[in-house]
Amino acid sequence: MKIKVKHLFGVLYGCLFLSILAGFFVHLYLHPEVHFFWERLPVFSAVYGFIGCIMIILGSKAIGHLWLQKDEDYYEKHE
Amino acid sequence: MTEWFHPGLIYLIGALLIPLFRGRLKKVYLLSLPILAFVNLLLISNGFFLPEGKTWVLPFLGYDLVLGRIDRLSMVFAYVFVIASFCMMLYALHVKEEGEHVAAYLYVGSTLGVVFAGDLFTLFFFWEVMAWSALYLIWYRKTRAAYGAGLRYILVHFFGGLCLLGGILLHFHATGSIAFEIFPWGGESSGIPLASVLILLAFVINAAVPPFHAWLSDAYPEATVTGAVFLTAFTTKSAIYALIRGFPGLEILVWSGAIMAVYGVVFAVLENDIRRLLAYHIISQVGYMVAGVGMGVMGTAAGEMALNGAAAHAFCHILYKALLFMGAGAVLHVTGRSKLTELGGLYRYMPVTFHLYMVGAYSISGFPLFNGFVSKTMVVQASAMWHMPIVWLMLEGASIGTFLHTGLKLPWGTWFAKDKPVCEGKEPPMNMLVAMGLTSFLCIVLGVYPKLLYDLLPYPVHYQPYAPAHLVSMSQLLGFTFIAFWLLRRKLYGERTITLDTDWFYRFAGKWVIWFCEKPLMAFADFVDEKVMDLVHFLVWFSRNPAAALNIKGKELKLKAGMLVSNPVGLREYERMIEEERKRYPGELPKLTLGASLVLVLLSFSVYLILYLLVK
Repeated sequence: MKIKVKHLFGVLYGCLFLSILAGFFVHLYLHPEVHFFWERLPVFSAVYGFIGCIMIILGSKAIGHLWLQKDEDYYEKHE
Repeated sequence: MTEWFHPGLIYLIGALLIPLFRGRLKKVYLLSLPILAFVNLLLISNGFFLPEGKTWVLPFLGYDLVLGRIDRLSMVFAYVFVIASFCMMLYALHVKEEGEHVAAYLYVGSTLGVVFAGDLFTLFFFWEVMAWSALYLIWYRKTRAAYGAGLRYILVHFFGGLCLLGGILLHFHATGSIAFEIFPWGGESSGIPLASVLILLAFVINAAVPPFHAWLSDAYPEATVTGAVFLTAFTTKSAIYALIRGFPGLEILVWSGAIMAVYGVVFAVLENDIRRLLAYHIISQVGYMVAGVGMGVMGTAAGEMALNGAAAHAFCHILYKALLFMGAGAVLHVTGRSKLTELGGLYRYMPVTFHLYMVGAYSISGFPLFNGFVSKTMVVQASAMWHMPIVWLMLEGASIGTFLHTGLKLPWGTWFAKDKPVCEGKEPPMNMLVAMGLTSFLCIVLGVYPKLLYDLLPYPVHYQPYAPAHLVSMSQLLGFTFIAFWLLRRKLYGERTITLDTDWFYRFAGKWVIWFCEKPLMAFADFVDEKVMDLVHFLVWFSRNPAAALNIKGKELKLKAGMLVSNPVGLREYERMIEEERKRYPGELPKLTLGASLVLVLLSFSVYLILYLLVK
């Protein structure tokens, strides 16, 4: 099991590397139509995915812990 | 009648006959209805029945009810509803409860009624049937939580239904027409008609646009395992259909949709219950469709792309969301658990369920070769064509969150996360697995060969989902989302909490009303009661001997006046005397002779006569 997970991660890192390379390739050679300036950055989606994911987790958890998350019997207790 | 047959009627009539069948025959019968409806749709598409236009027009109080309005838009929605209903019934085939099947088919049939409705009264009728038939899919769970959630669900939908009815009547009053077409939404000179606002509100409630969305995340996770699968598809997507018909290109919908897409994601992070997590992602995904409707300005290339995107995404969403709910439902069915804190390590027992669930997860996340990729990107592309950078960023950001929860957090927490399985498990019954397999197959087919879907859409499609730039950006987005998840995965374990949402307001509204009745209102009532009773007691006391009573009251007044001016000590004697008199009261009553009584009676009659004459 351990080795399998390790191999999977190897493949995953390979794919990520390839997707970055492909990003450069697409932008340098195929010149796709862009609508926003950030689409010109070959690695924009990678950065947005990584930072966006972290922001979603931390931001939502902050809102939840500070305000919205309550005990499971919250409504029963207040009925 | 032979030029067309209403596909919804197959379900509505068919549902009533379900109790007549038993055993294996019943299963065959249940599955034959969607097949029949599908054949019916094929006959419509291929021109054996009326393929386009209005039919089944019934005269009603001098107006025409149109039960069959057939065009490309109604057909694409009808197709997906019928296909999905087959998969869902297959999933529910083992359920013994007949009423649940009846409710499910009434629900599907009335949704098709909405889809083919060409006038507003027909729309309203089926809209309401849809609301209450869905209620039984919740109540058949037969738990206290399901009962409460169902009650809240139906109250919200009654409110929405009344908005719709009020809007329809006002619209009818203003325009004299009951046709279901685009509603007027102000112009340069005129304001926004109230009728349109009410109808939009009704549609928006059914589409679960925040802040009117809480019924969905409240009720769907409490429904039965199989009922929830039906619920995911019809109410919200028929609302999207109604929005496309009534309000295409309404800008407020763009922003509502974008906010919705992100809103669902944020709440999904906090959620512990797997079916509620998925319910929040219905809200998020419907956000793409609502945004698509908002961007769907008729007659523009970007608008047609957006409307196509909304319809296509509704089509794909129904399939993959059903699949996801099937997977989560299978876990609940087998283990009786649905909370991430109580699940984990089930891969050992349920690998097939896991892999089939993951097809749904890849689809909703928009992995290339899965159906979400070919539809979601159309809406995102439309936002780029309209040059709306913030909307674009919000929709892309919601994609990240979608993969994070449905594709990573939920399966990780359910099937892995713990070294040892937390409970016993096994694969669900065969019919559930086959249904999941079939739905997965459809998700993949549409992803691999999107032309099947694109050919059904209302407008010609000029979009290449598999353009290299799309592929690359999606792979980067999803790949790096995974990396971020892996780094922070320990933060995403379930927590034993619930999350407050806008249902808080109406859950507590009842409590406030009861508080108001019990406290201020009751205090006021007690006060009035006490005063009236005091008056009654006084009158009873007074009427025993009015003369003596007047005497006592007069003396009491005198005593009070005396107390104000002179020394109270001197008045003690007088006070004691009044006390004595009160004790003796009513005392000896004067005895009247018969003659005196008669005189009194006659006197009162004459007073009455004088008053009568005066007033007259």
